Amino acid sequence: MAEHTVKAFDEDITRLRGLIAEMGGLAEVAIQESLDALVRGDEELAEKVVARDKRIDALETEVDKLAVRIIALRAPMADDLREVIAALKIGGVLERIGDYSKNIAKRAGMIEGRARFEPLTLLPAMGELAGEMVHDVLTAYAARDPELAREVIATDAKVDAFYNSIFRNLVSYMVENPSTISSAAQLLFVARNIERIGDHATNVAEMVHFAATGVYPPEGDR
Amino acid sequence: MTVIHPNMQDENAKIRARGVSVFYGDKTAIDDVSIDISPDYVTAFIGPSGCGKSTFLRCFNRMNDTIPAARVTGLIELEGEDIHGDGMDVVQLRARVGMVFQKPNPFPKSIYENIAYGPRIHGLAEKKADLDIVVERSLTRAGLWDEVKDRLDDAGTALSGGQQQRLCIARAIAVDPEVILMDEPASALDPIATAKIEELIDELSGRYAIVIVTHSMQQAARVSQRTAFFHLGKMVEYGPTSEFFTNPIEERTKDYITGRYG
Repeated sequence: MAEHTVKAFDEDITRLRGLIAEMGGLAEVAIQESLDALVRGDEELAEKVVARDKRIDALETEVDKLAVRIIALRAPMADDLREVIAALKIGGVLERIGDYSKNIAKRAGMIEGRARFEPLTLLPAMGELAGEMVHDVLTAYAARDPELAREVIATDAKVDAFYNSIFRNLVSYMVENPSTISSAAQLLFVARNIERIGDHATNVAEMVHFAATGVYPPEGDR
Repeated sequence: MTVIHPNMQDENAKIRARGVSVFYGDKTAIDDVSIDISPDYVTAFIGPSGCGKSTFLRCFNRMNDTIPAARVTGLIELEGEDIHGDGMDVVQLRARVGMVFQKPNPFPKSIYENIAYGPRIHGLAEKKADLDIVVERSLTRAGLWDEVKDRLDDAGTALSGGQQQRLCIARAIAVDPEVILMDEPASALDPIATAKIEELIDELSGRYAIVIVTHSMQQAARVSQRTAFFHLGKMVEYGPTSEFFTNPIEERTKDYITGRYG
Protein backbone atom coordinates (compact mmCIF):
# COMPACT_ATOMS: atom_id res chain seq x y z
CA MET A 1 0.00 0.00 0.00
CA ALA A 2 1.27 3.47 -0.86
CA GLU A 3 2.59 5.57 1.98
CA HIS A 4 0.70 8.45 3.56
CA THR A 5 2.00 11.92 2.85
CA VAL A 6 2.11 12.35 6.63
CA LYS A 7 4.62 9.66 7.65
CA ALA A 8 3.56 9.64 11.31
CA PHE A 9 0.18 8.32 10.17
CA ASP A 10 1.87 5.25 8.69
CA GLU A 11 3.82 4.78 11.91
CA ASP A 12 0.59 4.85 13.94
CA ILE A 13 -1.10 2.29 11.70
CA THR A 14 1.98 0.05 11.72
CA ARG A 15 2.12 0.20 15.49
CA LEU A 16 -1.59 -0.63 15.74
CA ARG A 17 -1.12 -3.65 13.49
CA GLY A 18 1.91 -4.67 15.53
CA LEU A 19 -0.12 -4.60 18.77
CA ILE A 20 -2.84 -6.77 17.22
CA ALA A 21 -0.22 -9.22 15.94
CA GLU A 22 1.35 -9.43 19.39
CA MET A 23 -2.05 -10.00 21.05
CA GLY A 24 -2.85 -12.66 18.50
CA GLY A 25 0.44 -14.45 19.06
CA LEU A 26 -0.13 -14.50 22.83
CA ALA A 27 -3.72 -15.68 22.40
CA GLU A 28 -2.57 -18.51 20.14
CA VAL A 29 0.02 -19.69 22.66
CA ALA A 30 -2.53 -19.38 25.47
CA ILE A 31 -4.95 -21.73 23.72
CA GLN A 32 -2.28 -24.35 23.20
CA GLU A 33 -0.70 -24.11 26.64
CA SER A 34 -4.00 -24.07 28.49
CA LEU A 35 -4.94 -27.37 26.85
CA ASP A 36 -1.49 -28.82 27.51
CA ALA A 37 -1.88 -27.86 31.14
CA LEU A 38 -5.35 -29.41 31.25
CA VAL A 39 -4.38 -32.68 29.64
CA ARG A 40 -1.25 -33.14 31.76
CA GLY A 41 -2.71 -31.65 34.89
CA ASP A 42 0.23 -29.25 34.86
CA GLU A 43 -0.85 -26.57 37.31
CA GLU A 44 2.39 -24.67 37.04
CA LEU A 45 1.87 -24.18 33.31
CA ALA A 46 -1.76 -23.30 34.02
CA GLU A 47 -0.65 -20.52 36.34
CA LYS A 48 1.67 -19.22 33.65
CA VAL A 49 -1.24 -19.02 31.21
CA VAL A 50 -3.34 -17.16 33.77
CA ALA A 51 -0.50 -14.74 34.52
CA ARG A 52 0.23 -14.08 30.87
CA ASP A 53 -3.38 -13.16 30.22
CA LYS A 54 -2.69 -9.88 32.01
CA ARG A 55 -0.33 -8.98 29.19
CA ILE A 56 -3.11 -9.59 26.64
CA ASP A 57 -5.45 -7.37 28.68
CA ALA A 58 -2.83 -4.63 28.81
CA LEU A 59 -2.30 -4.84 25.06
CA GLU A 60 -6.03 -4.47 24.48
CA THR A 61 -5.99 -1.25 26.47
CA GLU A 62 -3.09 -0.05 24.36
CA VAL A 63 -4.97 -0.90 21.15
CA ASP A 64 -8.01 1.03 22.41
CA LYS A 65 -5.98 4.09 23.29
CA LEU A 66 -4.03 4.12 20.04
CA ALA A 67 -7.14 3.57 17.91
CA VAL A 68 -8.96 6.42 19.65
CA ARG A 69 -5.91 8.63 19.23
CA ILE A 70 -5.66 7.84 15.52
CA ILE A 71 -9.33 8.61 15.00
CA ALA A 72 -9.05 11.87 16.94
CA LEU A 73 -5.78 13.11 15.47
CA ARG A 74 -5.65 11.66 11.97
CA ALA A 75 -9.33 11.50 11.01
CA PRO A 76 -8.79 8.32 8.97
CA MET A 77 -10.89 7.72 5.88
CA ALA A 78 -11.88 4.78 3.69
CA ASP A 79 -9.66 1.69 4.19
CA ASP A 80 -7.67 3.47 6.94
CA LEU A 81 -10.90 4.05 8.83
CA ARG A 82 -12.02 0.47 8.36
CA GLU A 83 -8.60 -0.73 9.44
CA VAL A 84 -8.71 1.22 12.69
CA ILE A 85 -12.29 0.20 13.50
CA ALA A 86 -11.43 -3.43 12.75
CA ALA A 87 -8.34 -3.26 14.99
CA LEU A 88 -10.48 -1.83 17.78
CA LYS A 89 -12.94 -4.70 17.53
CA ILE A 90 -10.34 -7.41 16.91
CA GLY A 91 -8.49 -6.26 20.03
CA GLY A 92 -11.64 -6.85 22.07
CA VAL A 93 -12.18 -10.28 20.55
CA LEU A 94 -8.58 -11.41 21.13
CA GLU A 95 -8.89 -10.33 24.73
CA ARG A 96 -11.94 -12.62 25.04
CA ILE A 97 -10.03 -15.48 23.46
CA GLY A 98 -7.34 -14.92 26.10
CA ASP A 99 -10.02 -15.12 28.80
CA TYR A 100 -11.36 -18.40 27.46
CA SER A 101 -7.85 -19.88 27.54
CA LYS A 102 -7.43 -18.61 31.07
CA ASN A 103 -10.68 -20.34 32.05
CA ILE A 104 -9.50 -23.58 30.45
CA ALA A 105 -6.18 -23.35 32.31
CA LYS A 106 -7.94 -22.79 35.62
CA ARG A 107 -9.60 -26.20 35.28
CA ALA A 108 -6.25 -28.02 34.98
CA GLY A 109 -6.37 -29.13 38.61
CA MET A 110 -10.02 -30.12 38.61
CA ILE A 111 -9.92 -33.26 36.50
CA GLU A 112 -9.80 -36.62 38.27
CA GLY A 113 -8.77 -40.00 36.87
CA ARG A 114 -7.05 -38.60 33.79
CA ALA A 115 -5.58 -41.88 32.58
CA ARG A 116 -8.92 -43.56 31.88
CA PHE A 117 -10.80 -40.49 30.75
CA GLU A 118 -11.08 -40.67 26.97
CA PRO A 119 -12.74 -37.28 26.19
CA LEU A 120 -9.63 -35.62 27.51
CA THR A 121 -7.79 -36.88 24.44
CA LEU A 122 -10.35 -35.32 22.08
CA LEU A 123 -10.00 -31.81 23.42
CA PRO A 124 -6.44 -31.03 22.25
CA ALA A 125 -7.40 -31.84 18.65
CA MET A 126 -10.37 -29.49 18.91
CA GLY A 127 -8.18 -26.87 20.54
CA GLU A 128 -5.60 -27.26 17.79
CA LEU A 129 -8.26 -26.61 15.16
CA ALA A 130 -9.49 -23.49 16.99
CA GLY A 131 -5.87 -22.40 17.47
CA GLU A 132 -5.28 -22.80 13.74
CA MET A 133 -8.28 -20.60 13.05
CA VAL A 134 -6.80 -17.91 15.29
CA HIS A 135 -3.42 -18.32 13.63
CA ASP A 136 -4.81 -18.17 10.10
CA VAL A 137 -7.08 -15.23 10.80
CA LEU A 138 -4.11 -13.26 12.08
CA THR A 139 -2.15 -14.18 8.97
CA ALA A 140 -5.15 -12.98 6.94
CA TYR A 141 -5.16 -9.78 8.99
CA ALA A 142 -1.45 -9.19 8.46
CA ALA A 143 -1.74 -9.85 4.71
CA ARG A 144 -5.15 -8.13 4.34
CA ASP A 145 -6.24 -11.35 2.68
CA PRO A 146 -10.06 -11.70 2.42
CA GLU A 147 -9.79 -15.18 0.81
CA LEU A 148 -7.93 -16.65 3.77
CA ALA A 149 -10.45 -14.94 6.07
CA ARG A 150 -13.24 -16.80 4.29
CA GLU A 151 -11.40 -20.08 4.71
CA VAL A 152 -11.22 -19.43 8.45
CA ILE A 153 -14.96 -18.80 8.53
CA ALA A 154 -15.53 -22.13 6.77
CA THR A 155 -13.39 -23.96 9.35
CA ASP A 156 -15.72 -22.96 12.18
CA ALA A 157 -18.20 -25.64 11.10
CA LYS A 158 -15.56 -28.29 11.91
CA VAL A 159 -15.02 -26.86 15.38
CA ASP A 160 -18.77 -26.91 15.94
CA ALA A 161 -18.94 -30.54 14.80
CA PHE A 162 -16.14 -31.37 17.24
CA TYR A 163 -18.08 -29.71 20.01
CA ASN A 164 -21.23 -31.69 19.28
CA SER A 165 -19.36 -34.96 19.21
CA ILE A 166 -17.48 -34.22 22.45
CA PHE A 167 -20.71 -33.11 24.07
CA ARG A 168 -22.42 -36.42 23.24
CA ASN A 169 -19.36 -38.33 24.33
CA LEU A 170 -19.23 -36.59 27.71
CA VAL A 171 -22.93 -37.03 28.32
CA SER A 172 -22.70 -40.78 27.71
CA TYR A 173 -19.73 -40.95 30.11
CA MET A 174 -21.73 -39.20 32.76
CA VAL A 175 -24.71 -41.50 32.21
CA GLU A 176 -22.63 -44.66 32.34
CA ASN A 177 -20.46 -43.66 35.24
CA PRO A 178 -21.83 -40.97 37.55
CA SER A 179 -18.51 -40.74 39.39
CA THR A 180 -17.09 -38.95 36.32
CA ILE A 181 -19.79 -36.25 36.38
CA SER A 182 -17.69 -33.66 38.13
CA SER A 183 -14.71 -34.01 35.76
CA ALA A 184 -16.90 -34.41 32.69
CA ALA A 185 -18.81 -31.24 33.56
CA GLN A 186 -15.50 -29.38 33.73
CA LEU A 187 -14.59 -30.71 30.31
CA LEU A 188 -17.95 -29.60 28.94
CA PHE A 189 -17.04 -26.07 29.94
CA VAL A 190 -13.65 -26.49 28.28
CA ALA A 191 -15.22 -27.76 25.05
CA ARG A 192 -17.67 -24.90 25.19
CA ASN A 193 -14.82 -22.40 25.62
CA ILE A 194 -12.97 -23.82 22.62
CA GLU A 195 -16.17 -23.63 20.59
CA ARG A 196 -16.49 -19.97 21.56
CA ILE A 197 -12.87 -19.34 20.52
CA GLY A 198 -13.81 -20.66 17.06
CA ASP A 199 -16.79 -18.28 16.94
CA HIS A 200 -14.59 -15.37 17.92
CA ALA A 201 -11.98 -16.26 15.30
CA THR A 202 -14.86 -16.24 12.83
CA ASN A 203 -15.84 -12.74 13.99
CA VAL A 204 -12.28 -11.58 13.50
CA ALA A 205 -12.30 -13.12 10.01
CA GLU A 206 -15.42 -11.13 9.15
CA MET A 207 -13.74 -7.94 10.32
CA VAL A 208 -10.58 -8.73 8.37
CA HIS A 209 -12.74 -9.23 5.29
CA PHE A 210 -14.54 -5.95 5.97
CA ALA A 211 -11.33 -4.01 6.56
CA ALA A 212 -9.81 -5.37 3.36
CA THR A 213 -12.80 -5.10 1.04
CA GLY A 214 -15.34 -2.74 2.63
CA VAL A 215 -18.03 -5.43 2.69
CA TYR A 216 -18.79 -8.33 5.01
CA PRO A 217 -18.35 -11.84 3.62
CA PRO A 218 -21.45 -13.28 1.93
CA GLU A 219 -24.05 -14.79 4.28
CA GLY A 220 -23.44 -18.32 2.94
CA ASP A 221 -19.93 -18.27 4.41
CA ARG A 222 -21.08 -17.52 7.91
CA MET B 1 -13.54 7.33 -17.13
CA THR B 2 -15.74 8.32 -14.26
CA VAL B 3 -16.85 5.79 -11.69
CA ILE B 4 -20.42 6.61 -10.72
CA HIS B 5 -22.06 4.73 -7.87
CA PRO B 6 -25.48 3.16 -8.60
CA ASN B 7 -28.70 5.22 -8.59
CA MET B 8 -27.15 8.64 -8.82
CA GLN B 9 -29.54 10.10 -11.41
CA ASP B 10 -32.13 12.39 -9.93
CA GLU B 11 -35.69 13.12 -11.02
CA ASN B 12 -35.75 16.39 -9.10
CA ALA B 13 -32.51 17.69 -10.55
CA LYS B 14 -32.41 21.46 -10.97
CA ILE B 15 -29.24 21.35 -12.99
CA ARG B 16 -28.31 18.68 -15.47
CA ALA B 17 -24.79 18.86 -16.84
CA ARG B 18 -23.98 16.54 -19.73
CA GLY B 19 -20.56 16.08 -21.31
CA VAL B 20 -19.27 19.42 -20.06
CA SER B 21 -15.71 20.40 -20.94
CA VAL B 22 -13.93 23.66 -20.20
CA PHE B 23 -10.84 24.91 -21.98
CA TYR B 24 -8.52 27.76 -21.04
CA GLY B 25 -6.92 28.50 -24.38
CA ASP B 26 -5.69 25.06 -25.46
CA LYS B 27 -5.51 23.68 -21.92
CA THR B 28 -8.33 21.36 -20.87
CA ALA B 29 -9.51 22.34 -17.38
CA ILE B 30 -12.59 20.08 -17.27
CA ASP B 31 -12.95 17.02 -19.43
CA ASP B 32 -16.37 15.57 -20.27
CA VAL B 33 -18.18 15.75 -16.93
CA SER B 34 -21.85 14.87 -16.40
CA ILE B 35 -23.76 15.32 -13.13
CA ASP B 36 -27.20 16.12 -11.70
CA ILE B 37 -27.65 18.76 -9.02
CA SER B 38 -30.78 18.52 -6.89
CA PRO B 39 -32.26 20.30 -3.88
CA ASP B 40 -32.74 16.91 -2.25
CA TYR B 41 -29.13 16.78 -1.14
CA VAL B 42 -25.97 18.83 -0.82
CA THR B 43 -23.33 17.99 -3.41
CA ALA B 44 -19.65 18.40 -2.54
CA PHE B 45 -16.83 18.71 -5.05
CA ILE B 46 -13.44 17.74 -3.70
CA GLY B 47 -10.00 17.35 -5.23
CA PRO B 48 -6.51 18.80 -5.15
CA SER B 49 -5.78 22.38 -6.22
CA GLY B 50 -6.00 22.82 -9.95
CA CYS B 51 -8.20 19.74 -10.46
CA GLY B 52 -10.95 21.83 -12.07
CA LYS B 53 -13.61 21.61 -9.38
CA SER B 54 -14.04 25.38 -9.03
CA THR B 55 -13.94 25.80 -12.79
CA PHE B 56 -16.73 23.26 -13.10
CA LEU B 57 -18.75 24.95 -10.35
CA ARG B 58 -18.45 28.27 -12.15
CA CYS B 59 -19.99 26.73 -15.28
CA PHE B 60 -23.36 26.50 -13.58
CA ASN B 61 -23.96 30.25 -13.62
CA ARG B 62 -21.63 31.04 -16.49
CA MET B 63 -19.02 32.76 -14.34
CA ASN B 64 -16.42 31.43 -16.79
CA ASP B 65 -17.87 33.89 -19.36
CA THR B 66 -15.93 36.60 -17.56
CA ILE B 67 -12.61 34.88 -18.41
CA PRO B 68 -11.79 35.74 -22.04
CA ALA B 69 -9.73 32.62 -22.80
CA ALA B 70 -12.26 30.22 -21.28
CA ARG B 71 -14.48 28.11 -23.51
CA VAL B 72 -17.23 25.79 -22.29
CA THR B 73 -18.67 22.93 -24.36
CA GLY B 74 -21.37 20.39 -23.59
CA LEU B 75 -24.86 20.88 -22.26
CA ILE B 76 -25.91 22.47 -18.98
CA GLU B 77 -29.63 22.73 -18.29
CA LEU B 78 -31.34 24.65 -15.51
CA GLU B 79 -34.87 23.30 -15.10
CA GLY B 80 -34.61 21.82 -18.59
CA GLU B 81 -33.46 25.07 -20.16
CA ASP B 82 -30.05 25.33 -21.85
CA ILE B 83 -28.14 27.98 -19.90
CA HIS B 84 -26.11 28.81 -23.02
CA GLY B 85 -29.27 29.15 -25.11
CA ASP B 86 -30.23 32.41 -26.84
CA GLY B 87 -33.14 33.05 -24.51
CA MET B 88 -31.01 32.86 -21.38
CA ASP B 89 -30.36 36.18 -19.65
CA VAL B 90 -27.06 35.82 -17.80
CA VAL B 91 -28.02 38.33 -15.12
CA GLN B 92 -31.22 36.40 -14.51
CA LEU B 93 -29.28 33.13 -14.52
CA ARG B 94 -26.95 34.38 -11.79
CA ALA B 95 -29.93 35.35 -9.66
CA ARG B 96 -31.36 31.85 -10.05
CA VAL B 97 -27.97 30.26 -9.49
CA GLY B 98 -26.40 32.26 -6.66
CA MET B 99 -22.83 32.09 -5.52
CA VAL B 100 -20.88 32.43 -2.30
CA PHE B 101 -17.11 32.80 -2.42
CA GLN B 102 -14.18 31.87 -0.22
CA LYS B 103 -13.67 35.35 1.13
CA PRO B 104 -16.80 37.14 2.28
CA ASN B 105 -17.39 40.04 -0.12
CA PRO B 106 -20.19 42.21 1.21
CA PHE B 107 -20.92 45.42 -0.69
CA PRO B 108 -19.46 48.50 1.03
CA LYS B 109 -22.96 49.41 2.11
CA SER B 110 -25.23 48.86 5.09
CA ILE B 111 -26.30 45.38 6.14
CA TYR B 112 -29.81 46.23 4.99
CA GLU B 113 -28.66 47.43 1.57
CA ASN B 114 -26.51 44.34 1.05
CA ILE B 115 -29.67 42.25 1.15
CA ALA B 116 -32.09 44.71 -0.47
CA TYR B 117 -29.89 45.45 -3.46
CA GLY B 118 -30.56 42.23 -5.36
CA PRO B 119 -34.34 42.07 -4.93
CA ARG B 120 -34.57 45.75 -5.90
CA ILE B 121 -32.59 45.52 -9.15
CA HIS B 122 -34.35 42.29 -10.09
CA GLY B 123 -37.70 43.92 -9.40
CA LEU B 124 -38.68 41.31 -6.82
CA ALA B 125 -39.62 43.98 -4.27
CA GLU B 126 -39.90 47.73 -4.66
CA LYS B 127 -41.76 49.16 -1.71
CA LYS B 128 -39.87 49.61 1.53
CA ALA B 129 -42.35 47.37 3.37
CA ASP B 130 -41.80 44.54 0.86
CA LEU B 131 -38.04 44.95 1.02
CA ASP B 132 -38.19 44.88 4.83
CA ILE B 133 -39.88 41.50 4.62
CA VAL B 134 -37.29 40.12 2.19
CA VAL B 135 -34.42 41.44 4.31
CA GLU B 136 -35.77 39.93 7.50
CA ARG B 137 -36.61 36.61 5.86
CA SER B 138 -33.23 36.30 4.16
CA LEU B 139 -31.27 37.21 7.28
CA THR B 140 -33.39 34.82 9.33
CA ARG B 141 -32.79 31.95 6.93
CA ALA B 142 -29.08 32.75 6.99
CA GLY B 143 -29.17 32.58 10.79
CA LEU B 144 -28.04 36.18 11.12
CA TRP B 145 -31.21 38.09 11.95
CA ASP B 146 -30.98 37.98 15.73
CA GLU B 147 -27.38 39.16 15.62
CA VAL B 148 -27.96 42.16 13.33
CA LYS B 149 -31.61 43.18 13.63
CA ASP B 150 -30.76 46.18 15.82
CA ARG B 151 -28.02 47.47 13.56
CA LEU B 152 -29.21 47.02 10.00
CA ASP B 153 -27.76 50.42 9.09
CA ASP B 154 -24.24 49.47 10.12
CA ALA B 155 -21.78 48.71 7.34
CA GLY B 156 -21.78 45.08 6.19
CA THR B 157 -18.01 45.16 6.30
CA ALA B 158 -18.12 45.95 10.04
CA LEU B 159 -19.36 42.43 10.81
CA SER B 160 -17.06 39.58 11.79
CA GLY B 161 -15.78 37.26 9.05
CA GLY B 162 -18.30 34.54 9.84
CA GLN B 163 -21.15 37.05 9.99
CA GLN B 164 -20.03 38.59 6.71
CA GLN B 165 -20.12 35.16 5.09
CA ARG B 166 -23.63 34.55 6.39
CA LEU B 167 -24.54 38.02 5.12
CA CYS B 168 -23.31 36.94 1.68
CA ILE B 169 -25.42 33.80 1.91
CA ALA B 170 -28.42 35.93 2.95
CA ARG B 171 -27.71 38.17 -0.03
CA ALA B 172 -27.72 35.16 -2.35
CA ILE B 173 -30.96 33.90 -0.81
CA ALA B 174 -32.66 37.29 -1.07
CA VAL B 175 -33.26 36.93 -4.82
CA ASP B 176 -34.89 33.54 -4.24
CA PRO B 177 -32.43 31.38 -6.17
CA GLU B 178 -32.92 27.72 -7.08
CA VAL B 179 -29.29 26.79 -6.77
CA ILE B 180 -26.54 28.10 -4.48
CA LEU B 181 -22.92 27.52 -5.43
CA MET B 182 -20.40 27.76 -2.61
CA ASP B 183 -16.71 27.93 -3.39
CA GLU B 184 -14.89 27.10 -0.15
CA PRO B 185 -17.34 29.17 1.88
CA ALA B 186 -15.72 28.44 5.23
CA SER B 187 -12.02 28.19 4.50
CA ALA B 188 -11.35 31.71 5.76
CA LEU B 189 -13.39 31.23 8.94
CA ASP B 190 -12.64 29.96 12.44
CA PRO B 191 -14.13 26.63 13.60
CA ILE B 192 -17.16 28.18 15.30
CA ALA B 193 -18.06 30.34 12.31
CA THR B 194 -17.42 27.29 10.12
CA ALA B 195 -19.81 25.19 12.19
CA LYS B 196 -22.48 27.90 11.82
CA ILE B 197 -22.04 27.92 8.04
CA GLU B 198 -22.24 24.13 7.94
CA GLU B 199 -25.39 24.14 10.08
CA LEU B 200 -26.81 26.78 7.74
CA ILE B 201 -26.03 24.66 4.68
CA ASP B 202 -27.86 21.78 6.32
CA GLU B 203 -30.91 23.96 6.98
CA LEU B 204 -30.97 25.46 3.50
CA SER B 205 -30.70 22.08 1.81
CA GLY B 206 -34.06 20.90 0.57
CA ARG B 207 -35.15 24.46 -0.27
CA TYR B 208 -32.16 25.15 -2.51
CA ALA B 209 -29.92 22.86 -4.55
CA ILE B 210 -26.52 23.42 -2.96
CA VAL B 211 -23.12 22.64 -4.38
CA ILE B 212 -20.06 23.19 -2.23
CA VAL B 213 -16.43 23.11 -3.27
CA THR B 214 -14.19 22.41 -0.31
CA HIS B 215 -10.63 21.45 0.46
CA SER B 216 -11.65 20.00 3.78
CA MET B 217 -12.68 16.39 3.38
CA GLN B 218 -14.12 16.42 6.85
CA GLN B 219 -16.30 19.33 5.79
CA ALA B 220 -17.46 17.50 2.67
CA ALA B 221 -18.22 14.49 4.85
CA ARG B 222 -20.13 16.60 7.35
CA VAL B 223 -22.29 18.74 5.07
CA SER B 224 -22.88 16.78 1.89
CA GLN B 225 -24.90 13.73 0.96
CA ARG B 226 -23.15 13.31 -2.38
CA THR B 227 -19.52 13.77 -3.20
CA ALA B 228 -17.63 14.04 -6.47
CA PHE B 229 -13.85 13.74 -6.64
CA PHE B 230 -12.02 15.64 -9.38
CA HIS B 231 -8.48 15.07 -10.51
CA LEU B 232 -6.65 16.57 -13.48
CA GLY B 233 -9.88 17.91 -14.97
CA LYS B 234 -11.76 14.63 -14.79
CA MET B 235 -14.50 13.60 -12.42
CA VAL B 236 -12.91 10.44 -11.05
CA GLU B 237 -15.71 9.20 -8.82
CA TYR B 238 -19.18 10.34 -7.80
CA GLY B 239 -21.26 8.69 -5.11
CA PRO B 240 -23.18 8.94 -1.84
CA THR B 241 -20.96 10.70 0.71
CA SER B 242 -21.23 7.93 3.30
CA GLU B 243 -20.06 5.31 0.79
CA PHE B 244 -17.52 7.64 -0.67
CA PHE B 245 -15.60 8.14 2.56
CA THR B 246 -15.87 4.61 3.90
CA ASN B 247 -15.55 2.48 0.79
CA PRO B 248 -14.54 4.37 -2.34
CA ILE B 249 -14.34 2.36 -5.54
CA GLU B 250 -11.51 4.11 -7.37
CA GLU B 251 -7.91 3.73 -6.24
CA ARG B 252 -7.20 7.43 -6.92
CA THR B 253 -10.15 8.47 -4.74
CA LYS B 254 -8.94 6.23 -1.95
CA ASP B 255 -5.39 7.55 -2.15
CA TYR B 256 -6.66 11.13 -2.05
CA ILE B 257 -9.08 10.82 0.84
CA THR B 258 -6.72 8.72 2.93
CA GLY B 259 -3.88 11.20 2.44
CA ARG B 260 -1.75 9.12 0.11
CA TYR B 261 -1.98 11.56 -2.78
CA GLY B 262 1.52 11.92 -4.27
